[in-house]
Amino acid sequence: MSVPARHQVGPADSADPAGRVDLTNLANLVGALRAVIRESADATDRDAEFPVATLAALRRTSLFGLLVPAEYGGLGGSVRDMVWVSTELARDCTSAGMIFAMHCQQVAALTSYASPALRQALLPRIAHGEVYLASVTTDAGKGGHLLSAEQALAERGDRLRIDRTAPIVTGGAHADGFLITMQAPGAASAGEVSLVYADRAQLHTEVVGGWDTLGMRATESVPMRLTGEVPADQVVGRHGGFADIAIQSFAPLAHLGWSACWLGTASGALARTVTMLRSREERGRRDLTSELFLTRLSRIRQRLDLTNAVIQHAVDTFLSGMDPTTPRQQLLLNTVKLTASEQCLAAVDELVELVGLRHGYQRQSPLRLERALRDLRAAPLNYANDRLHFADGRLVLLDPEVRLA
Amino acid sequence: MDSSFAALIRPHLRFLPDDADLAPDAPLRSLGLDSMQAIELLFDIEDKYGVVLPDDKLSSETFETAQSLWQAVDATRQQTEAA
Repeated sequence: MSVPARHQVGPADSADPAGRVDLTNLANLVGALRAVIRESADATDRDAEFPVATLAALRRTSLFGLLVPAEYGGLGGSVRDMVWVSTELARDCTSAGMIFAMHCQQVAALTSYASPALRQALLPRIAHGEVYLASVTTDAGKGGHLLSAEQALAERGDRLRIDRTAPIVTGGAHADGFLITMQAPGAASAGEVSLVYADRAQLHTEVVGGWDTLGMRATESVPMRLTGEVPADQVVGRHGGFADIAIQSFAPLAHLGWSACWLGTASGALARTVTMLRSREERGRRDLTSELFLTRLSRIRQRLDLTNAVIQHAVDTFLSGMDPTTPRQQLLLNTVKLTASEQCLAAVDELVELVGLRHGYQRQSPLRLERALRDLRAAPLNYANDRLHFADGRLVLLDPEVRLA
Repeated sequence: MDSSFAALIRPHLRFLPDDADLAPDAPLRSLGLDSMQAIELLFDIEDKYGVVLPDDKLSSETFETAQSLWQAVDATRQQTEAA
């Protein structure tokens, strides 16, 4: 495994050079974690069970604190580090990568928007691996649409009453804390959304259904009902102000984190396949000089280099501090998600075609292509590409000069 | 350079006359080592020496001459043994 080639800290921590991540250390942590993931990935996929061994290792290795600033005891990493780690973890298990990336997305929101008191209380616990964060943003009626919520927070003096049902909560049965979107107290419309943090201990949590899917099985993304009360200062950002958090932080990190995972899954699949193709045994069976074979192999790799280039460019742009609310920035970040979800799925589909039934389609094949294909089939659905194109179309109309980010 | 290394490379150099020696500093490309031959040669090296050259060694500099290629193989072999 190679150490990430370059590192650039984000605008938020650039003033604190001591907080920069030690890349060799990060690579070692990731290496140790991948060994744990490889050991359990087959079973968690088969049984659609959350990777508890991976969760324990994430806590132990302090990687859950990757984006927690050093002043709170975290690793002080940037979005670039998050992307790199997510890609590496997803090489062996897309679900493990997603669990990590989505946790980081929550941490970033807390770091930037939580009140000083909440930051002080929570960030050190996250850095110490005590708090795995789950995101509760889905509603039965609206799917993954971030900017509206059906159920409202109720104000009770200086406390907020939560009663929230969500159809999909990744890792919800194992999370220690939840970032929940709900209508602001007394909201005039479903578009006035607040983000509120709740500790598991502050809630009554109930898993109200199962998770039995084609792929992404180990995310154990169950439907849940969460009820309870939290102090009013556990609202993250201002009441009704979730749209700002979504556009500045939540959506960019989601798109970058998810895309990094999909790229990792496809890269892992290609790496295992190329290693197999190069083995002495396989070389005797196959004509590696075949024009069709080499051309197909090239197209697969092209898809991954393309995806990586788009992700890296978007990371550069995001870290440069450019306003992520402008149409061109939003279009770029949406393009990351659209491109990664299409290209990585296509790459693994073509890998299956390349190596055929035995290596490509059997569950027992060490190449694990069938699992990668099942996992990546979720990529265009995970915040549906159709919906993203619909939003992009409107953004295109807002930018008649066509200034590309 | 290992004496058997030259023998390993020779079959991949179609412009090297049978009766000519392979000079350690002769440019392999002009002796016939194209990209496909380089892959075949790489497989032969992996099979004979049991080493896989790391990505960052797979540069045109490494494949320039028999000497440069041998240095890369030998260095990787020593690192592999040390690990």
